[in-house]
Amino acid sequence: MTVAAGIGYALSALGPSLSLFTAVISHKPFLILILLSSTLVWLMSLIALSAVWRGFIPFKTAAWWPYALLILTSVASQEALRLFLWRLYKRMEELLDAFADRVSKPRLVITDKMQIALAGGMGHGVAHAVFFCISLLTPAFGSATYYVEKCSRIPFFLVSAMIALAFVTIHTFSMVIAFSGYSEGNRTDQYFAPVVHLAAGMLYMRSVPILKFEVSIAISEGVSSTTLLEIREDILIFRRCPHLQGIPIAPKNRVSPTEDGSLAAGGPSAYDYHLRLGPKFTGAIIIVTQ
Amino acid sequence: MEQNPRPRSVLETLGEEIIRIVTPVSICMLAVVILVSILNGDSSSRGDLPITTMATIAYSESSSDSTWDKLKGALLNSLVFVAVVTVVTFLLVLLFYLRCTKFLKYYMGFSAFLVLGFMGGEIALLLIQDFSFPVDCITFAILLFNFTVVGVLAVFMSKMAIFVTQAYLVVIGMLVAYWFTLLPEWTTWVLLVAMALYDLAAVLLPGGPLRLLVELAMSRDEDIPALVYEARPVINDSGPSGGVVRRRVWREERGDTDENQGLSANTRSGLASDSTPGTHLSVGIGEHERNLADAEEGRVTGGDSELTTPLIQHINVRMNSSENAVPSENLVLEGIGLGSSGAIKLGLGDFIFYSVLVGRAAMYDFMTVYACYLAIVAGLGVTLMLLAFYRKALPALPVSIMLGVLFYLLTRLLLEDFVVQCSMNLLMF
Repeated sequence: MTVAAGIGYALSALGPSLSLFTAVISHKPFLILILLSSTLVWLMSLIALSAVWRGFIPFKTAAWWPYALLILTSVASQEALRLFLWRLYKRMEELLDAFADRVSKPRLVITDKMQIALAGGMGHGVAHAVFFCISLLTPAFGSATYYVEKCSRIPFFLVSAMIALAFVTIHTFSMVIAFSGYSEGNRTDQYFAPVVHLAAGMLYMRSVPILKFEVSIAISEGVSSTTLLEIREDILIFRRCPHLQGIPIAPKNRVSPTEDGSLAAGGPSAYDYHLRLGPKFTGAIIIVTQ
Repeated sequence: MEQNPRPRSVLETLGEEIIRIVTPVSICMLAVVILVSILNGDSSSRGDLPITTMATIAYSESSSDSTWDKLKGALLNSLVFVAVVTVVTFLLVLLFYLRCTKFLKYYMGFSAFLVLGFMGGEIALLLIQDFSFPVDCITFAILLFNFTVVGVLAVFMSKMAIFVTQAYLVVIGMLVAYWFTLLPEWTTWVLLVAMALYDLAAVLLPGGPLRLLVELAMSRDEDIPALVYEARPVINDSGPSGGVVRRRVWREERGDTDENQGLSANTRSGLASDSTPGTHLSVGIGEHERNLADAEEGRVTGGDSELTTPLIQHINVRMNSSENAVPSENLVLEGIGLGSSGAIKLGLGDFIFYSVLVGRAAMYDFMTVYACYLAIVAGLGVTLMLLAFYRKALPALPVSIMLGVLFYLLTRLLLEDFVVQCSMNLLMF
């Protein structure tokens, strides 16, 4: 695999997250810290998983159930991690609000919370892409490339890059959805993340050699989850901020019950720009690049 | 479209201090990893060349020894190294006590010259060789000389643009770290752990040399002459000119030419003695840096970061710096990195040893590099949090190095096989 091809694989796995990073996360140091910590936490969960499964790999049998068990345990542990992160996030939110009160800045609004969830999810996604795709590229520089039997028409690295791309998207946005589901108590939102995660994980372990079809399924999976998430995100935000719907808001009923934080500190109109730009912009980037 | 400017949320300024330190550390690590993969990747047999340095004086590792022999030899090497470092640090304390500050500053400049000129020149030659870059001797000599002299001036004079100073400090750290990665493997790892333990002892124990140095400096209210990376101070809403003016006033008030005291002074005493294969240049003790985090000086006692506190208050804060002068409210404020107008300083030795760890991990595989990078950044964050909590001199090495070594071992032994097997079977989660 040439260096140019390697860079191409790396960019195709991490391109959208790079653009998301520069657009949203890189301006706020706190989000960068959240990204790094969630990457670390995902890595720790992966190490724990590998400690458990290390003795059994490589699987000697060709049966499908060990693989299914592996996927099941991995997804279960990561979803448990998501719950744990939610608890931590609640604690951190209180600290941040108290801190914001102390320095007389506005409290966390809904976009801030979503951005924190986005950064956390992206940490997971980037960790997946880095450890499952990018770290396998560097030993393979040189002449020739590598194919696996399961998908023997495309180089293995391209397959893993595409899958990593799908998973980055899934991780990033399912964190946003899960957090908003937990905060609102919305059951569909809460179950969305584990179901999609499990489905995506199970998708590739079929040992039937479907070759390109499989990869296209992966991509469509990623796209569909993305679009679904984008729509959901927009709906979520749209629902919460009546001032976006063109409803004229008198000053005294400006504070909606779902929004905590002092809106008195700034005008409501200031949020329009960020809200409208944020999700659609990033969604457009992702869909275009896919 | 917007009628009023949006009030800046807490997220936009929180943690900025930490990011301003993490970024140059990351850049240094990245540079070392790139150097290691370019220069050491081609000739993996080069690692067996006998490099006689201070760090391998007791035992020269060769790949035919048994594991136990290697471990013993590595322990001996690190003991010798730590002993030499301790002696040199005590010497530094003595010189500082006898007020030979000028001598120390000249020595710092001299060591910077050696690192940039000779080590930098050698690495540049290796790179030119690798890439067959067409350049003649005279041009190369002129460029190298200019580069070195500007670097020495950047280290010496504090009136240089801060970006140039920062860049040169990162380059010096990178060069020394690359040299350290040339040591044999077991020696490197044991040395890292030994330096972390030494750091812990030297800073926290009552008789430790670094603690003595910090107390001396504080009692005399002077700067310690050392190679220290200083991040730009976080100025909130007061514009760049305000910050610059504040720095100038600090410096003129002090009257000496060293860098201004920042939020936390993290300096370390390390040494780099070397004789590279081929050139029998035996440099003595290299840089002196100290590994402390000095929490008192330069902190803003005002509660609100957006007010521009008057200059005189800053100076008073510095003059009367003591451990418990600041109310506990500001602990949270400065602890998370928000609202302080001082700058965080990190000693160059920390840069060097972090990069050595990551560079050595790069010699195995890149998966260990990513894992160790995350571990080191996490350790750095934890250290900064502890710094804000305890508000006294803290060593920056132990947490990061221990986490880094732990993650390296875990990744190499457990994670790598697991991930490779899962990927090959397209088991992704």
